[in-house]
Amino acid sequence: MSLGDWLDERTGHRALLRHALDEPLYGGARFAYVWGSALTLTLVVQGVTGWLLMSAYAPSATTAWSSVAHITYTLRAGWLIRGLHHFGAQAMVVLLALHLGQTALYGAYRRPRELNWLFGLGLLGLTLGFALTGYLLPWDQKGYWATRVATNIAGTVPVLGAWTQRLLVGGDEYGHLTLTRFYSLHVAVLPALTALLLVVHIALFRKHGVTPPASADRRKVDAFFPKQVGIDLGVGFVVLLAIFALALREHGAPLDAPADPASDYPARPEWYFLAVFELLKYFHGALEPVGAVGLPLLVGGYLVALPFLDKGADGSLRRRLFWLAPLALVALGAAGLTVKSLAADAADASFLAARKLASERAARAVALFREGVPPEGPLAMLRNDPETRGADVFKAQCASCHRLGDLGPPKEKQTAPDLTGFGTRAWVLAVLDNPDADSLFGKTPFKGMMPSVVRPPADPEAAALFTPMSAADQGAIADFLVAQARGERGDGTPGERLVRQRCTGCHRLDGKTDDADSLAPELRGWASTAWIEAQIASPGGGKTYPPGAMSKDLEGHMPAFEEKLSEKDRKVLAAWTHDRGQKP
Amino acid sequence: MTESTRKEAGGEGDGPTPPNEVGSPQEPRRGALRALVAIGSLAYAGALAVPAVQFVTGPATSAGGGGKARWVRVGRLEDLPQGEPRRMQVIGDERDAFTLVKDELLGSVWLLREGDKVRAMSATCPHLGCAIDVGADKKSFGCPCHASRFALTGATEAGPSPRGMDALEVRVQQGWVEVDFRRYRQGITDRQEVGA
Repeated sequence: MSLGDWLDERTGHRALLRHALDEPLYGGARFAYVWGSALTLTLVVQGVTGWLLMSAYAPSATTAWSSVAHITYTLRAGWLIRGLHHFGAQAMVVLLALHLGQTALYGAYRRPRELNWLFGLGLLGLTLGFALTGYLLPWDQKGYWATRVATNIAGTVPVLGAWTQRLLVGGDEYGHLTLTRFYSLHVAVLPALTALLLVVHIALFRKHGVTPPASADRRKVDAFFPKQVGIDLGVGFVVLLAIFALALREHGAPLDAPADPASDYPARPEWYFLAVFELLKYFHGALEPVGAVGLPLLVGGYLVALPFLDKGADGSLRRRLFWLAPLALVALGAAGLTVKSLAADAADASFLAARKLASERAARAVALFREGVPPEGPLAMLRNDPETRGADVFKAQCASCHRLGDLGPPKEKQTAPDLTGFGTRAWVLAVLDNPDADSLFGKTPFKGMMPSVVRPPADPEAAALFTPMSAADQGAIADFLVAQARGERGDGTPGERLVRQRCTGCHRLDGKTDDADSLAPELRGWASTAWIEAQIASPGGGKTYPPGAMSKDLEGHMPAFEEKLSEKDRKVLAAWTHDRGQKP
Repeated sequence: MTESTRKEAGGEGDGPTPPNEVGSPQEPRRGALRALVAIGSLAYAGALAVPAVQFVTGPATSAGGGGKARWVRVGRLEDLPQGEPRRMQVIGDERDAFTLVKDELLGSVWLLREGDKVRAMSATCPHLGCAIDVGADKKSFGCPCHASRFALTGATEAGPSPRGMDALEVRVQQGWVEVDFRRYRQGITDRQEVGA
């Protein structure tokens, strides 16, 4: 007795298999019937990759982003598994649209298949539920803000809305419980319901069989195996290839910066929700729920009612066009709104700028992640990062007067030296040449205090006695000061000798100067991190400029930040300004 | 019951009057048993469902932290330019289910100095909760999501927002601007505090 016989005697599996494969297809096998099978096959991809992701994902506000980053950037093949899951989900949506369209076109929703149409719609709802809950799980900016918008939409529904929102979010604030709730929906509740509905859906399909077009010859009968199985597997394989190709092209799936409730973020949903997103722009004020909930419900209601409305004896497509027209209208409308939304964003400079900023932050977050995420989570990691925090503090505290690279006021509005290149040779040479340039001290109360070493003074008598400093000497001074900026002493260099001869008449070097009343700053350690930090704490503290630099007569001088910024922020800001200033 | 005894009993409801034998109760007793089984099943399901519903709806029904004043220091008055809006970060302790984070960024507010008075508004869009940004000309506010626009006073100028930006109480103490940081529900015309 073969093993197969032994098994069949105990399980009857051969009869079961025959029953599955010998299903008669009246009118013959057709390409049009593939979509249900393609969906089931893609669901297998989602199931397998989903279980794998579950084994590495940690749902909490402090761990979700880091665990997804770990999957994407550290674990072997993690990027591929996540990419397949991400693009598999999108394939599901596309295949669902095709499956629904084919069923509608062939009239497969008509009597006696009404209930199976409804189960199909139930599965469509569950798939969108998967999409909405899955989007949040990485707890990145994209998922966080999209979920805020989506749950706020739920909250706009009269009567039950607020309660539903609290139930989904797990309270008033988005956090741990929002994640654990969405997670349990995504990995337990929705899969269980999907399995249940799918079994009934397929059983009912088997009971009623395929719905061939009116033109088909119903006398022609194919068994499900091998022709239809072959076509189904072929298409399923093409879909799988497409999912692989997308995952390879993107090298996984996108991961934005960690969710930050205090940030600006140009929130956009996944592409298949863009039509609803665009719709929201047109429903103003109290009409909001009409667009966000009412219209989708209306479409849903139409789909549910379709098999009970279209009951005419003649099932040919021409006779059913009246009932199918709304479906075509919805499809066209959704496509139009999606294109409009994409076009609006592509033409919106501020959206593109915000998007670029978001991508930069995401890249920085990933770079920091590679060094290790602290137990307080990735948001704390970003907040303690000099690069990120420094830029944030600079924007908030310094950028209304100082420019630095892209940051700061427009050129004509700056009222303090441009810090781009601060501490570099070029910056020193520019000051030696023309300290009163608008981009240096020309807009500050210090204007006119330092003479150029190159340009003759305006006073003709003084100009007659003036000799410009040689380029070599300027270079030597610049070298000495650049060494200071690097934190070196530069003792015994030609530059040091020149500074002592030419600069300490007004400037200080190790606190020594010929003119104690001068407001010129200390040159020892000039533009080093420590010097900048002292300047931020108090510009008249003596370590950089003398106390006179903060005199009331000097209107528009730099304020002290000792009380406004924590010591940690001052250190971070100084380090950031130092590093950023030296970049070209 | 063995196969043979069941055959002898003739199966359930086989004849007009089922024979009265052991293990095959009479009609009234059968009805009572059916009711008992139904009640038992409901009780079994209920024993699980009641705590399940309590557990799941718990976080949604317990009172949130809203309704109480929460004064937060956001910046120095002297740093606010006249007539130009400034975004200030709100820092405080944040409790999220089981974690408590000290000095966490809770959100941000827009401040607008008018003379010695300061106007404070929530930076959360009353439409659907995105973060409101100031326009390039600093003469209006805008939401990057659904293109709502607001005047510097917070009044709605264009777009889908159902109400103007949410004004917050503000006070100046020893040169520090303090804001009563509250959150409001989005997407509705009324201003309803969250968790109140």
